[in-house]
Amino acid sequence: MALPRLTGALRSFSNVTKQDNYNEDEAELKIKRSKLYSKGSDLGLTWKKIVKFLNENLDKDEVQSVNEDLKDILQASKQIVGMDNGREAIESGAAFLFKTFYLTNLVGHRETKAIKQMFGPFPPSSATAACDATSRITSHFSEDDLSDLLRKTEEENENRVLFGKNIVFSFDMHDLDHSDELPINGDNQKMISLDY
Amino acid sequence: MPALPLDQLQITLKDPKTGKLTTSPALHSSRKADRYFVSYKPPPKDNIPALVEEYLERAAFVAADLDWLLALPHDKFWCQVIFDETLEKCLDSYLRYVPRKFDEGVAPAPEVVDMQKRLHRSVFLTFLRMSTHKESRDHFLSPSAFGEILYNNFLFDIPKILDLCVLFGKGNLSLLQKMIGNIFTQQPSYYNDLDETLPTILQVFSNILQHCGLQGDGACATPQKLEERGRLTPSDMPLQELKDIVLYLCDTCTTLWAFLDTFPVAGQTFQKHDFCYRLASFYETAVPELESAIKKRRLEDHKLLGDLWQRLCHSRKKLLEMFHILINQVCLLPILERSSDNVQGFIEEFLQIFSSLLQEKRFLRDYDTLFPVADDVSLLQQASSVFDETRTAYILQAVESAWEGMDRQKTTEATDLL
Repeated sequence: MALPRLTGALRSFSNVTKQDNYNEDEAELKIKRSKLYSKGSDLGLTWKKIVKFLNENLDKDEVQSVNEDLKDILQASKQIVGMDNGREAIESGAAFLFKTFYLTNLVGHRETKAIKQMFGPFPPSSATAACDATSRITSHFSEDDLSDLLRKTEEENENRVLFGKNIVFSFDMHDLDHSDELPINGDNQKMISLDY
Repeated sequence: MPALPLDQLQITLKDPKTGKLTTSPALHSSRKADRYFVSYKPPPKDNIPALVEEYLERAAFVAADLDWLLALPHDKFWCQVIFDETLEKCLDSYLRYVPRKFDEGVAPAPEVVDMQKRLHRSVFLTFLRMSTHKESRDHFLSPSAFGEILYNNFLFDIPKILDLCVLFGKGNLSLLQKMIGNIFTQQPSYYNDLDETLPTILQVFSNILQHCGLQGDGACATPQKLEERGRLTPSDMPLQELKDIVLYLCDTCTTLWAFLDTFPVAGQTFQKHDFCYRLASFYETAVPELESAIKKRRLEDHKLLGDLWQRLCHSRKKLLEMFHILINQVCLLPILERSSDNVQGFIEEFLQIFSSLLQEKRFLRDYDTLFPVADDVSLLQQASSVFDETRTAYILQAVESAWEGMDRQKTTEATDLL
């Protein structure tokens, strides 16, 4: 239950605010997830960048075998993201799976949590398939090569200048002032003489 | 060539279908990115893992989206802020629902604390950017357009401003003062809104009295219905009901005080509604009754009663401090800052305010303990040669008589602990 607040009363009873409806909480997260993987906006690392990187850094023979693995990841993404979503969403999901598994060869708690947070409930077999395929791809590279791929995309993100980056912010908030304790037995404690 | 303000800037775009060049305002809904901000929900009260996880997921979305927003270039930032309703809702939900430090609650899990900190900073920076019309030499809005944008799009409103003060006023006071000062300067309509909000604020105090069966002003708007149960006093009501009243009082006093502490200039608008008298009258009626109700409940939950007592003491202090800010702003500061020719009106205001509350003995006593009335009177005497000695003596005498039968020393010591 919401705590009683002055500003809550002002929002409800004065006519100086815009009245908002906050009843769509559950639907909000679903919409957000679907928007996220259809856009891939926060990943930085896109499917196209991954494919380009592999084509540029592998021999022709290797590319052929890696293509099969890429198909496996796309297939897993289709299972996780949902068949109804378009190509863009599936590729974006595949890039997310690649980024999730490129440094590990098993589906642990951290990876499960990350996928669940992004897509909601998902079939574990698809995550395992994506993990295996990613491991096969990354086995062609040293860790430094892969870090290079990731670093490039991260640098693109870091080049953005965040407003207020240098502002000194304090987390200190108004709290209850210190005060005397509740008088015992109802009133200020009285001196009781035991000298009868 | 000097840069144009963003509100006058036009940009030329190539139509992807026809290849034709078209010109449109830089501030236009078509330039808003397709981003979906979710609303904020507070951390769960008990640290149930599934609920914590759900909170973290939602909060991570908000945090990432605000980081993205803060990294946008000036023009894109304003397009998003003006035209994205999900962003407005997200920010408003944070101000509404984020726990205040004085709220009761269990200690959150460490990952929740970290996330709260990240969100708290990002929300503040977003409001800071929204209250800045000149970001750099080349990136700015004209002051008049800035004021219109803020007001017409409800980017700020009075409840939001009050929330900002109570959430950020302690640690970031000087920045917050600049922000709120700029908002009110560039858009004076916020003074009208504050003026319109004050009857509702006064109604909140009336409602508290009404819930305590202590309706002030002798003006309960509607007569009690025959079948309605008799209104309970704080001493008779269930403990939960008393708790709700004290929590509401605590939030109300802290929020109003935080606003006046940040933006004391608002004091003039408050006093247009005779706020000093209303505050003192409320204090006189509500405080002794609530104190006595908490003290009397010896056999009930002692921990909860201790907490309520602390909140009541805190609320008392905030009410007294608010009164002092108002007196300072409405009478004392103008006297100190102006030449002696102009001070008479402010002295008269001071005398009128105190004359109106000579019957509020408990209030006078507590106020005099924290802010001695004699000190202010002495200041007035120094400021004016034509000083109404008779009225002043009368006021000081009333303050003295408020102390009659009380141990001044002991009360002073007790109030020192407030």
